Amino acid sequence: MPREIYLVKVGMTMTEGMVSEWFIADGAEVKKGEMLYALETEKVNLDVDAEADGTVKHLVEAGVTLEPGDVVGYIFAQGESIPDVLPGATSQPEVVVSAEPVAVESAAPMAVEAVVSEGFVKASPAAKRLAKELDVNYLTLQGTGPGGRIVEADVQSAASGQTASQQPAVAAIQSQSSANIKASPLAKRIAEQRAIDLSQVRGTGPGGRIVQSDVENLGASIAQASGPVAGDMVPVKGMRKTIAQRMHQSLQDSAQLTMDMAAVMEDAVKLREQLIREWDGAARPTFTDLVIKAAAKALQKHPLMNSQFGGTGIQLLNEIHVGIAVALPEGLVVPVVRHADQLSLKEIAIESARLATSARNGTLGLDDYAGGTFTISALGMFGVDSFTPIINQPQSGILGVNRILDGVAWEGETPVRQKQMNLSLTWDHRVLDGAPAAEFLQTVVEYLSEPYRLLV
Amino acid sequence: MKEYDIAVIGGGPGGYTAAIRASQLGLKATVIEKAELGGTCLNWGCIPTKSLLHAADVLRAVQTADELGIKTGKVNFDLSKMVQGSRQAAGRLNQGVGHLMKKYKIDVLQGEAEIKERGLVSVNGVELFADNIIVATGARARTLEGLVPDGNVVWHANDAMTPKKMPDRLLIIGAGAIGVEFASFYNTLGAKVTLVEVLEEILPNEDAEIAAAARASFERLGIKVLTGAQISQVSVGKKLKCQINAESFEFDNVISSVGVMGNIEGIGLENLGVETDRGFVSVNSQQQTNVAGVYAIGDVAGAPCLAHKASHEGVIAVETIAGLAPHALQVQRIPACTYSHPQVASIGLNEAACADRDVRIGRFPLLANGKAVAIGETDGMIKTIFDRNTGELLGAHMVGAGVSEMIQGYAVAMQMETTEVELMNTVFPHPTISESMQESVLDAWNRTLNY
Repeated sequence: MPREIYLVKVGMTMTEGMVSEWFIADGAEVKKGEMLYALETEKVNLDVDAEADGTVKHLVEAGVTLEPGDVVGYIFAQGESIPDVLPGATSQPEVVVSAEPVAVESAAPMAVEAVVSEGFVKASPAAKRLAKELDVNYLTLQGTGPGGRIVEADVQSAASGQTASQQPAVAAIQSQSSANIKASPLAKRIAEQRAIDLSQVRGTGPGGRIVQSDVENLGASIAQASGPVAGDMVPVKGMRKTIAQRMHQSLQDSAQLTMDMAAVMEDAVKLREQLIREWDGAARPTFTDLVIKAAAKALQKHPLMNSQFGGTGIQLLNEIHVGIAVALPEGLVVPVVRHADQLSLKEIAIESARLATSARNGTLGLDDYAGGTFTISALGMFGVDSFTPIINQPQSGILGVNRILDGVAWEGETPVRQKQMNLSLTWDHRVLDGAPAAEFLQTVVEYLSEPYRLLV
Repeated sequence: MKEYDIAVIGGGPGGYTAAIRASQLGLKATVIEKAELGGTCLNWGCIPTKSLLHAADVLRAVQTADELGIKTGKVNFDLSKMVQGSRQAAGRLNQGVGHLMKKYKIDVLQGEAEIKERGLVSVNGVELFADNIIVATGARARTLEGLVPDGNVVWHANDAMTPKKMPDRLLIIGAGAIGVEFASFYNTLGAKVTLVEVLEEILPNEDAEIAAAARASFERLGIKVLTGAQISQVSVGKKLKCQINAESFEFDNVISSVGVMGNIEGIGLENLGVETDRGFVSVNSQQQTNVAGVYAIGDVAGAPCLAHKASHEGVIAVETIAGLAPHALQVQRIPACTYSHPQVASIGLNEAACADRDVRIGRFPLLANGKAVAIGETDGMIKTIFDRNTGELLGAHMVGAGVSEMIQGYAVAMQMETTEVELMNTVFPHPTISESMQESVLDAWNRTLNY
C-alpha cells in the first residue's frame, strides 16, 4: 500500500490550505525527511517533509484549496506497482475536480457557490422532472431556452446522448449569470461584439438596466460617475482572506472606539540612543519595544484591558502576551511576545527582533502566534500621527504607535520644541468605558515620558 | 408676497405639465399665462388643426364613398361649422387644463410675467417669489419681410385656422409640417393650393425618400408643389401678386410658415443675464440655463419645437429641481408627425444623416399590405434604418394613412433598445397596417415575406 501524503493541519483554527508548491516532481524519488511540498494556510507557510522513501505521485496540483487532512498525493515504496488511476481520485470527487484552478478562481465567489445550490440553475419545471426520471444531472447541461434556460428538450437530448453538450458545471453557470443581467438587447449585443463583461458594467437605465450608452461609453462614463473601471481581480485567499474575515468580524462583533493621547518622548529618545550604545549590538531597542514594555506594565495595573469579553462575562487573563503587527508583502502577521510583563526591555528587544525577522523570512512557528492578550500596531515609520487600529479578537484593546514628531511645549510664555508621539488606543467599550481606558492610556504615556521606569 | 417653489412662465404643454409634476412631487407651483392655458399647441396649433384636418379627412371619405358603394348625392360642407368644431375642441381641452390646475392646487396667474431678479417675478406689477423659475414661453411664427399678417390677404396661422371664407387660390410659403398640413386641408376643401419651399424638397426634416413619396401623393391630389423656389416682387393689395421662379402668380391669400422663433423678449431674461442663442434660450440636459434657479423648456429652449418634447423637458426640469435624477431626453428618440393626407411620421436618423455609417435599410410599400388594400389606403411606405453591425434601430420613416398613430411602436422599440431580432420576433396582429412595420424590418435583412 502506498503511503498517503496529507495536507498537514497546523493549529486548531486551520480550516483550509493548499500545496503552494511541490518540491518533489510527480513521479520523482524522495528520501524520508526531504522537503516534499510547501503548505500555505491562512496564517502560515510551512515546508512539509517526506515521511518515507519512495516515488512521489501527486494527487492534486499546486494551488488547489483543500481541507486539512485531505490526501494530496502518495509515496510508493520501491517495487510497489503504481496504478494508472490513483486511489482516492474517485473517493473525493469534489476535491479532485480537475477544473483548472483558473476557472475556479475567476468564477469565484458566485460560480463556486452556485455549484452547491441547485436553485441557481435556470431550468423549466418540466425539465427538472424529466431529469429526475431519466437520471440526468441537469446541472451540467447547457440550456437552449431563452437566456440559457434548460428546457425539456435539453434533458431529452442529453439522455439520448444526441448532443454531447455536457459542459463543466462551472462553465454552464457562468453563462447563466451573465444571462441574468438586466440589459437592453442592443447593449447585450454590443457587449458581445466587443467582448465586454456585462457584469462589470453599471447600468444607468430604469432599475439599473444596462443600456447602449453604458456599454459604448464604458471607460469614459464609468470614470465620471458610474464607478471605477474594473481592473484585474485579486483573488482573496490565504492570508488576505483571513485578514478580511477577522477584521470585518471584529468590527461587527464588538463596540470599538479609538482615542489618541500624546506622550512626551524627549527622554525616551535619549534613553533609546543610550541603550543602543550600551548594548552594543547585543540588542537594538525600537520605540515599539519601549511601547511593548510600557503597555505590558500598564496592563498589570489595568487588568480590564487584558481580558476577553465572553458570553458569560469578562474573562480577565493572568498572563500578558503582547502581539506585534508585522506587515509583510502578502499581508499582516501578529507574532506574540509572550510574558512581556516579565521580560526586561532588553529581552523584549531581542524577542521582537527575532519575531520580526522570522515573520519576514516566513519561518514563524505556530507557537509564535499563539496566545496574545493585547496587540501593538506601529505605523509611525510611515509618518502616521493617528489611526484607528482594529482589535485582534477576542482581545479587548490594541494600541497604535505613531511617529515621533517635533511638538511644542510651553515653558511659561515661551514655546519650546519637544519630541512627542501620539498613541492611538482602540478598546472594546463592552469591556470598559472611556475613563478607565483613558487611565490605561495615561499610564502608558507616563511610562514613555519617564522611560527609566521601564528599566526597573 | 406669495412664495412658490417653482414659477412657470407659460401655460403651454411644457409649462402646465411641469406644474403638474411639481405638484406631484410636493412642490408649490404657479403657472403664469398671458393668454390661454394650453398655449399655442392646444389653442392655436396641434389641437384645432387636427380637428380641421379630421373634417377634411371625413370630407374626402364621403367624396370617395361611391367607390365603396355608398351613395351620398352632392356633398357640401359648412366652413364656419368646421371652424366652430375646432374651436370647441380647443375650448374643451383648455378648460380641462384649468381643471387639472385646480386638481393639483396650482395657482394660475393671468398676465405677463417679468423676471425682476433671481427668484423675483412680477406679474402685471404684482410681485411673487419663487425659488425656481421655469421659462416656458414657447415660440411664434417667423414673419417674412413684406408679408406682415393683416388678417385679410396675408394670414397669420390663427387666421388660417379660422377662415371666414374659402380662398380660391392659396399660397403657402414654407413646406414644413405646418405648411404641409394647411396645404392638405385647403386642398381637400377645394382651394387651388400652391406650396412653395425654398429648399430642394418639401418636409426638409424628413427622410428625402419619404418626403418625395409624400410630395408625389400631394401632387396627385392636386397640390401645386414648387421646391427650390425663390419668391420675388411681392405686392399685397386686394390680392397677393408675386413672382415665383420668375413666373407671375396671383393669390387670394397667403400663409407663411417659415419656421418659428423663441419668445425670449419682455420676460426679463436680460435682467439676469440668461444666455440665448439665435433666438432661443440655451440650456443643458437638465434644462438649466446659465443662471442658477432659472430653467427653460419647450420651444423657447430650442428645436425640435414639438409639444411632446416640451412636456418631457418640463418633467426633467422639475425633477432636477426636486433633486431627483430625471431621465435623459434623447433627441434621436423624439418622434415627429405631419397630419396631412397621407400622413408622415418619423423618428431617429434619416438616410442622409447615416451617410457615413454602415447601415441596413428596409422598405415596405403599403401597396403590399392587406389591410391597406382592403381600406383603399395603399399610398405610402415604411422605411427603417439599422446599424449593420449592432442591429440598432437608427431611424424609422413612414408615409401613409394613420402612420402618426403607429410611430410610437418604433419609439418604444428605440427606448427599449431592441435590435432587429426583437422586432422580427414580435407578433404583429393581422390584418393591420402596422404589419408593414415588421415587414420593413425584415426587408432590411432581405427577409420580407409579403413583397
